[in-house]
Amino acid sequence: MNKNKKSLFSFGKSVNSNADEPCVNRREFLSKTGKIALGASAVVIGGGLFSPESFAAKKIGIHGNATLLKMARDIYPHDTLENKYYVKVMSPMSEAAEKDSDLFKLLAEGVESLDTISVEKFDLKYVDIKSESDRVVVLKSLEASPFFQKIKGALMMGIYNNPELWPRFGFGGSAWEKGGYINRGYDKNDWI
Amino acid sequence: MSAKFDLNDDSLVVIIGSGAGGGTLSNELAQKGIRSVILEAGKRFTFDDIENDEWKMFGKISWLDKRYVEGPARIAKDFPNLPAWIVKGVGGATMHWAGVAMRFQEHEFKMKTTNGTVAGANVLDWPVTLEEMAPYYEKAESKMGVCGTKATGMPYHGKSSHYKVVEEGAKRIGAKCEQANLAINTEIRDGRASCQVNGFCMQGCKVGAKWSTMYTEIPKAEATGKVELRPQSMVLRIEHDNTGKVTGVLYADKDGNQHLQKARIVAVAGNSIESPRMLLNSESSMFPAGLANSSGQVGQNYMTHTTGGVYAEFEKPVHMYKSTVVPGIVHEWKDNDPSRGHLAGYELEVLHLGLPFMSAFLNPGQGGWGRELANSLENYDNMAGFWICGEDMPVESNNVTLHPTEKDQYGLPVPVVYKTDHINDTRMRNHAYDRSKELFDSIGALKVNNLPPYPASHNMGTNRMSEHARDGVVNRWGQAHDIKNLFVSDGSQFTSSGTENPTLTIVALAIRQADYIADQMKRKEI
Repeated sequence: MNKNKKSLFSFGKSVNSNADEPCVNRREFLSKTGKIALGASAVVIGGGLFSPESFAAKKIGIHGNATLLKMARDIYPHDTLENKYYVKVMSPMSEAAEKDSDLFKLLAEGVESLDTISVEKFDLKYVDIKSESDRVVVLKSLEASPFFQKIKGALMMGIYNNPELWPRFGFGGSAWEKGGYINRGYDKNDWI
Repeated sequence: MSAKFDLNDDSLVVIIGSGAGGGTLSNELAQKGIRSVILEAGKRFTFDDIENDEWKMFGKISWLDKRYVEGPARIAKDFPNLPAWIVKGVGGATMHWAGVAMRFQEHEFKMKTTNGTVAGANVLDWPVTLEEMAPYYEKAESKMGVCGTKATGMPYHGKSSHYKVVEEGAKRIGAKCEQANLAINTEIRDGRASCQVNGFCMQGCKVGAKWSTMYTEIPKAEATGKVELRPQSMVLRIEHDNTGKVTGVLYADKDGNQHLQKARIVAVAGNSIESPRMLLNSESSMFPAGLANSSGQVGQNYMTHTTGGVYAEFEKPVHMYKSTVVPGIVHEWKDNDPSRGHLAGYELEVLHLGLPFMSAFLNPGQGGWGRELANSLENYDNMAGFWICGEDMPVESNNVTLHPTEKDQYGLPVPVVYKTDHINDTRMRNHAYDRSKELFDSIGALKVNNLPPYPASHNMGTNRMSEHARDGVVNRWGQAHDIKNLFVSDGSQFTSSGTENPTLTIVALAIRQADYIADQMKRKEI
């Protein structure tokens, strides 16, 4: 499947699509700064928006944010999509949790549940499970929870309803101001 | 030019709802000099409000008041509070439609005669035939501007890439496929623009090329000086006198103030959930089961069409979004051929969704996430697909009822919609899934995704037409069997769903009903 993925997601270099190392550029950046050993947490810190200096990050915590980001990438895994698009969805939620104790509880307990199940099933915390399919097993067991569904819903809007990303997926977005497609190739098809 | 009527004026027709039924009825009556007030629950939008943005428009125009979906069907889990995807606004569901305008087939007006009694279904013939409807269909096509018809002489839209892909697949498996008859201008006509193929037909046409009562029937009706439209007016109940005739309509304005508009005639056109709900909410000591409900059929036989989606992924781009939303129809299985393993027929309507909606409907509900879905969405630009639209068996237990305790923001009991498949619906959908896969496989699909039904935009049957008062709510004119100055003017009067999209038939019935009302008023029958 996805024979055209490379042309669609032409960003970045073609690499082996290892789901456990989702963001190639970030990884390279991190290698250079010598923080790779910190793993996912470092990815989050390196991501900037989840900076440990920010109030939000302090409360949810480095581990919490790392777990949420990992989870976000597992829910809608697009290997060539940079972390910033996932962070842009998760970071406001972490920040809102600062003032909203119900939300904080939802997220904190959600992260805790993820880790509990991960340890039960794989003897590792969620972020440390190397295999995506193993992490999916953990997520699947929490699928019906308000925690999971809230994050899934926010991601669906943040990724697929993000006009900045539409060209990457090959969707044109608003067309009326460009005169529609009547003179812009509505009938073009060179393969059928 | 809009009229302004007194609340105590009891010479008026009060029309509830401004969509395909109500909007058309008001204009048709106005052209005959008959005065009406339209009570519309939603706001009045303008072209400035219309955007090419799926979720923004969903949030802006959808009817999102509290409702419940019940039943074992997946939709009750995926969309527990959104049984129907319709509009709260002037123009009603004519904002949210792709413009598909096909006439019913002859057999679809007589399903009982055609197939006999169907176990587990409440099948009935319409008290109207295709022959009787033909001249009204012609008028409706002309009014709405349906391309590809004799009534307008307007050409089809031209074959989009999305259409061409499906047409080739259909050809290879020997299935009949044609461009769609759409109520979307392909020429400047009736003061409206020609389609420029924005690809967002389904949520209000930004250039007004698609017919919607919002900017056709309603302003035309107002221009006669015979019609007053009152937006943001939510009907609470329909009042009657001690002879059993309706006398007026109690409604709440946008500030919650209640008003009673007196009426000579009341026409209900609030779509198939609100229309029966109003009748049920109007119960009284004289009509303890609700107005016009001596048959017990008000709210029953709720039909949505047998639906589903099929989206195939190809190796190369289709860019389906560069198209009218429904550029074509595969008609091969629209007839009634029980040898297929199901009664009645279905159409495969070539239909695109934008990426935002595709992400929500490709695998709706809690389980729609993970790599398979993400991979498919990465192939968005290489997708082509259908919306399956087939006849839905009327089943009495598929219905709209009132919640026993919970009230909405107007203090009205929340509607509860129970809907599940008749076995015929399931068989039909599976047949459609299989044929769709065959069609797409024939042109090299890499993967074919089946989508379950999502909230219904075609809602029908809950105040159905019947020859005899015992079997239904209204007669062949949409006039209540029990109350002669009460009419139903929307899709809730459908006796059966047909396979065709309902709007054209709703409009044709409204034109016909206006003739009848005018005639009856002249004769002082009502």
